[in-house]
Amino acid sequence: MDIIDIVWVGLGGGVGSLLRWQVGRLVERHIGTPFKVGTFFINVSGAFVIAYISASLAMGWEHRYGDVISSLVLTGVLGGYTTFSTMQLDAVQMAAARRHALAIVYLVTSVGAGLLAAAAGVALARV
Amino acid sequence: MWLPVIIIFVGGGLGAITRELSMLLMGRYSVAFPVDIFAANIFASFLLGLVFGLHQARRASDNVTLLVSTGFCGGMSTFSTFIYGAYSEMVTPGQLGLSFLYVIASLVIGYSVTWLGLGAATQLRRA
Repeated sequence: MDIIDIVWVGLGGGVGSLLRWQVGRLVERHIGTPFKVGTFFINVSGAFVIAYISASLAMGWEHRYGDVISSLVLTGVLGGYTTFSTMQLDAVQMAAARRHALAIVYLVTSVGAGLLAAAAGVALARV
Repeated sequence: MWLPVIIIFVGGGLGAITRELSMLLMGRYSVAFPVDIFAANIFASFLLGLVFGLHQARRASDNVTLLVSTGFCGGMSTFSTFIYGAYSEMVTPGQLGLSFLYVIASLVIGYSVTWLGLGAATQLRRA
């Protein structure tokens, strides 16, 4: 692990976060439902891409830094693009608005769709 | 117009680097259960709840909120590595139970600490 590794992760994280911000705004502008489609789409698409790239390059999930692809793209861009904390805050806000069932459905479908997207990414990489 | 772009880039970059540091510190304990990613996601969820609550109470400015929530917390937490790690464990023989534990613990504890962060903001507001 070198200093350049930290630079890659930082650059990627910045770019990925900007991407998340813009994609989120774009989706929310068109589909403003209590179910946060923006965060959902961001997370599921990010899960698909990380699985596709990792499987294509035969990288294990625990391999997350040390070379440009894993530092810049996987840990940096995709880590910055997808977000676990916003998903949780979305769910908390749904529950605070007394939509408890929706909060649970939101968390469960995010994880379920994310796992399916990861499986699809791995399958596509093996085609 | 460029200010939010710079703020989110810097916050997201710092968040991703903090997540990488968590991997460096805890990576060797993360052989089967990814404690490094878990810790990063849980910490970012708490911080996001806190800053969101402070912003609602007008105790955190728009720019500080953009830096810490959209930037730092979004950059530090990750859904892609979380889900891909869970998926990879799930398809590894004998690791299904651990993968399930990882997902459930992340969801339940992440959700709880986001509430806790919001609650802490309410306490600070009264102080």
